[in-house]
Amino acid sequence: MWTQRGDWFKALADQGGWDIPKWPKDFGGPNFTPTQRYIFDLEMGKQPTPPQLPFGVGMLAPILMNYGTKAQQDRFLPGIRDGSVNWCQGYSEPGAGSDLANLKTKAELSADGSHYLVNGQKIWTTLAQIAHWIFCLTRTSSDGAKQEGITFLLIPMDDPGVEVRPIITLGGSHSVNEVYFTDVKVPVENRVGEEGKGWTYAKGLLAHERSGLAGIQNSVMGLEKAKRNAQKVRVGAGTLLDLSSFKNKVGVLEAELLALEFTEMRTLARVAAGGDPGPESAILKLKGTEIQQRITELNLEAAGVFAAPWGAEAFGPEFAHGATQSYLGGRATTIYGGASEVQKDVIAKNVLGLS
Amino acid sequence: MDLAYTTEQDMLAESIQRFIATEYDLTTRKNLVASDLGYSTQHWQTFAELGWLGMSIPEAYGGLGGDLVDTMIMFEEFGKGLVLEPTLSSLVLFAGALELAGSDEHKHHYLPALGAGDLTGCLAYVEADEPTNFNFVATTALKTGDHYQLNGTKSVVLNAASADVILVSARTEGQATDPRGISLFLVPGDSEGLLRKDYPTVDGLRASEVLLENVRVPASALVGAEGAASQTLNTVINRGILAISAEAVGAMAVLYQSTIDYTKQRVQFDHPLSEFQVVKHRLTEMFIEYNLAKSLCMKATMLLNQNSGDAQRHIHALKFLIGKTSRFVGQNAVQLHGGMGMTEDLAIAHYFKRLMMIDATFGHTDIHLDAFVQ
Repeated sequence: MWTQRGDWFKALADQGGWDIPKWPKDFGGPNFTPTQRYIFDLEMGKQPTPPQLPFGVGMLAPILMNYGTKAQQDRFLPGIRDGSVNWCQGYSEPGAGSDLANLKTKAELSADGSHYLVNGQKIWTTLAQIAHWIFCLTRTSSDGAKQEGITFLLIPMDDPGVEVRPIITLGGSHSVNEVYFTDVKVPVENRVGEEGKGWTYAKGLLAHERSGLAGIQNSVMGLEKAKRNAQKVRVGAGTLLDLSSFKNKVGVLEAELLALEFTEMRTLARVAAGGDPGPESAILKLKGTEIQQRITELNLEAAGVFAAPWGAEAFGPEFAHGATQSYLGGRATTIYGGASEVQKDVIAKNVLGLS
Repeated sequence: MDLAYTTEQDMLAESIQRFIATEYDLTTRKNLVASDLGYSTQHWQTFAELGWLGMSIPEAYGGLGGDLVDTMIMFEEFGKGLVLEPTLSSLVLFAGALELAGSDEHKHHYLPALGAGDLTGCLAYVEADEPTNFNFVATTALKTGDHYQLNGTKSVVLNAASADVILVSARTEGQATDPRGISLFLVPGDSEGLLRKDYPTVDGLRASEVLLENVRVPASALVGAEGAASQTLNTVINRGILAISAEAVGAMAVLYQSTIDYTKQRVQFDHPLSEFQVVKHRLTEMFIEYNLAKSLCMKATMLLNQNSGDAQRHIHALKFLIGKTSRFVGQNAVQLHGGMGMTEDLAIAHYFKRLMMIDATFGHTDIHLDAFVQ
């Protein structure tokens, strides 16, 4: 129906900002209420609609809207919205994964105050290989707590001091990278907000990023597909879905998904009533990613020995294609955006009051 | 009950450990995975010289006459090194079937050559319509005069591309799922009418779809009595399950140990990860589950070695537990390595993928749990 991604997003834009459902009205958004936005996400999740790359629209834009200057907003938001400028996120470093505030990439302000000189390394940078710009957390000061002295900078990827090296991950795909900065001069007008306040800006966004990772509607659809796949696998007189151990796993997942969906509704109800997302929202990423992984396991089981063929050409039944990649790639969901073990620490501390 | 290994068995394990330590680092393995053949013929000759290929071959045919415990010891060590050479296909499955059901002539012709590393074979027993049931055989073998004519498709045939001879299960009578009427045929890899589509597998091995179109083999290619191969297949597949379970035990040992080592040196929040209680407990659980899997692997091996009537049940339980435990140990090894566990640069990813395929080979957890509880 939609031959081009661009056509699809243009059609959404023509509906009155549906291409940017989370942006406020002042920036061209549709001004959805929390409930409308939930319904919008739900319906979009039910169809195989092309996903928007989250880095610009979902991650950087809210920061620019809240903390950027008018000039920065005018300069960057249009390219983010129409997809002409790709962004990537420069947060994690080799020594700063779960402990993100431990980041070391150094940004030194020049004597004349005109620019920062950036040196250091980022890692796990998703789609850096196609990005035009990177938004980065950098260290401008080592005094005080680790969370202080972090500054939010926007850096063009075509600077000669920026080098991208691919990381090939489990499943053979190239989506993450290492990004090296060597004496990269970043004009001060590319700093978002105040120097040393970057952590505060990014932290609010991380919570937002995490709640978006639950993927509940995808899981609902994925589980239905897994059941259909299992019904195509002959085992004795029946199918794989008739085996009690397999069927039980499906049943447990279905029950947990029903519960997770309503947990999301409870979060929504709070927000719709004008409150904070509340403690339930912390559950969504943890439980949502775990469920996603278990669904990839069901598909792997249905693929059986046809999980083996690897390479450009596909072999075996059609439903088995891609099961291995999904299973392998899916292992990252409980690692990125805050590993599950760290998420539990956050809930224990912030929600349960266990320090 | 004496569970200690003999001096010879300890030496066998040590010699494989030495070989892996000196010849089989990750880079070497990656180069072999990327090579045309997918493994090293030089290594294969070394395996022959060190007696590993002849280990399970009877002494009458030039082998060492070892038992299933010897095979278990070898595969546990192969698992630690992620060895690519076709030991499962050529020795456990192919040589195993010949030793069980072959004529004297078959044995004299093939077994000494297999043990000497001059020849490799493989077993084509999977069909796409019911891949977890070796009694599902739609491939046909029609006897015409002193020949058989084979037609059908065999799936995910491990090491078919490099094998000199493929042992093919085909139906000489009965319906597709009938355990009776299945026969085994020796089909040279270069037979006319045999078409292969070769591919790499996710764990770095090689497999093929094998199409048989009017492939003619002489009556002497029939291994065992006509129509009576189901029992032979059952036994070699049971031995195959024991072998890859031992391989999984070896791979899991490396995974939990490497994860301990990594978490000791990876510092986050100003402490090594290994100092966090959640990490300590997870590592301990990996160690516990690994040990349970190893115990059942040993017990099932001993029972089949003694031809115990209880062996089949234990083998179903073992294949289920190996699958379940490899997922637990593998997934947590990746999880505790964080992003690093996701990269192809670390060995972790390669052990993880091999364990994933061991789970999928010869039927995954649900298939064997179901058979176990029946």
